[in-house]
Amino acid sequence: MTQSLIQGQNLSKVYGTATGPLVALDDVSFHIEEGEFISLVGPSGCGKSTLLSILGGLEAKTEGTLVVGGKHHDAPRADIGMMFQTSVLFPWRSIRENVRLPGLILGLDKRQQAQRSEELLDMVGLNGFGDRYPGELSGGMRQRVGLARLLAHDPRMLLMDEPFGALDEFTRETMNLELLRIWEKTRKTVIFVTHNIGEAVFLSDRVFVMTPRPGRLEGIVEIDLPRPRTTAMMRDPRYSELVFEIRRMLGVDH
Amino acid sequence: MTMAHIEPVALNPTALPRDPSGPSAARKATVAAFIEAERRNAKRQVLINRALAAGFGVFVIAVWAIATMGGFVHALIIPTPMDTFWATGRVMSADYFWPNAWVTLQEIFWGFLIGALAGVILGIGVAMFGPVRATLYPYLVALQAPPKIVLAPIFITWFGFDMASKIAISVVMCFFPMFLNTLTGLSSVDPNAVKLMRSLTASRWQTFRYLLLPNALPIMMAGVKLCWTLAVLGVIVGEFVGASAGIGYLIYAMNFQLDIAGVFSLIILLSLFTLVIYNLIEAFEARIIFWSQL
Ligand SMILES: Nc1ncnc2c1ncn2[C@@H]1O[C@H](COP(=O)(O)OP(=O)(O)O)[C@@H](O)[C@H]1O
Ligand SMILES: [Mg+2]
Repeated sequence: MTQSLIQGQNLSKVYGTATGPLVALDDVSFHIEEGEFISLVGPSGCGKSTLLSILGGLEAKTEGTLVVGGKHHDAPRADIGMMFQTSVLFPWRSIRENVRLPGLILGLDKRQQAQRSEELLDMVGLNGFGDRYPGELSGGMRQRVGLARLLAHDPRMLLMDEPFGALDEFTRETMNLELLRIWEKTRKTVIFVTHNIGEAVFLSDRVFVMTPRPGRLEGIVEIDLPRPRTTAMMRDPRYSELVFEIRRMLGVDH
Repeated sequence: MTMAHIEPVALNPTALPRDPSGPSAARKATVAAFIEAERRNAKRQVLINRALAAGFGVFVIAVWAIATMGGFVHALIIPTPMDTFWATGRVMSADYFWPNAWVTLQEIFWGFLIGALAGVILGIGVAMFGPVRATLYPYLVALQAPPKIVLAPIFITWFGFDMASKIAISVVMCFFPMFLNTLTGLSSVDPNAVKLMRSLTASRWQTFRYLLLPNALPIMMAGVKLCWTLAVLGVIVGEFVGASAGIGYLIYAMNFQLDIAGVFSLIILLSLFTLVIYNLIEAFEARIIFWSQL
């Protein structure tokens, strides 16, 4: 058996708070293969962001083992890119300079990064916006820049924490399609946090269903809709079945 | 779960018709005229605002003139606007003026520079290095407690009647706001931005250079402006308490000689100087934190 890209065994995270210890993540185990599109779905407070932070090496786990690419994982790695609900663009850097930030930090080749940042801006539909500043862009456009920056240093794994959660419905759907298009092309490993069940089903190969108090991995749902995905599949009975299966696991329907 | 059977509704969406030739010439002209009118309105508003400000200034001077020239206030208490105007010319052309102004200028310059630099350096030290914070922060805050003017006589004793004591008072007055604003600026950062830098394996120095410092600039510049006015205040207070030269010393001496118009003219000159530099700092600020207007 070949080794999975990411292996989590009995992962737990306990925060010490004023009211005593808080179990944010309770005994979570999973495998993630290279090139998979995984969604973490569940109500807020179920530990999605905590799990993502641990996977990103930003937060230490309390218990368990985590192996990424064959190595024990406890610190940020350049081959893991992260994106958050807010675009976190630096307002004093132009759009182009924002996209070049990862290359700058990691000391990558300047000429190559300059070319790549233009290609990426093209890809996310922001051709000609390179000299603008974040303050001049709409929320949707800023997340596009965030997407370009995420890919700038060509990370192998993309960890995305509700990246389009703050956008309106129409923009979010466009961004999801954009993300899928990019993923089809690059086949990076994506771990995508959302609390939108339909979005999770539409995008993913597998959906990790999480429940709160304490944060648990309730189950993993295999999404057997064909690829490439199209919006027409949202009318597919199988799509509704999967959505309802996840709703049942989350205890939304009784 | 059972659901009541619902008859499907026949969907028959109709899009509203649209003129393929686009808006007519008349319509375009209306829009253009509207935009032009808006622009004129905005311009007029700017003029009105300026007129209001200027009008208020004229009003204040008029009240001043009536109160003094009408004999409601004695000239030994408030000089007339004309007397003040002539006194300004007299003071500026007197041979004692420029040497004294030069002394004050140097004191302010050094007080501001040293105070602001110390504030920035200690602010960065306390914000970035845990041990420095633990060691110094309580003392820096405690030092802030007494009104710093009480130090003026002590500093005169320590550093003498010359410039050094005025610079010391100025430094002590303007250090703290710069320190606090640097510390606050470096600490008020979006936690997600810090996470982003960490996820990119940025070093402490890189995080400081590319995120924390530029992010702190707006708050730091507010500190610089505060620091500037306090540096001037510190020097003048020092010169009041004990000096043999300087604008503060002149004000004190003229007041003693009941040359109230001279005192007024010095106050006005000092205020103008402070204001001009303040505006220069603001212009500089607008340049380096250009993004705040985007
Ligand atoms: N730094 C922290 N300190 C204390 N408690 C935390 C911290 N971060 C998260 N938590 C708690 O852990 C639980 C899971 O949080 P989180 O992972 O953010 O959930 P989600 O992203 O699914 O909404 C919540 O109850 C939250 O309050
Ligand atoms: Mg979250």
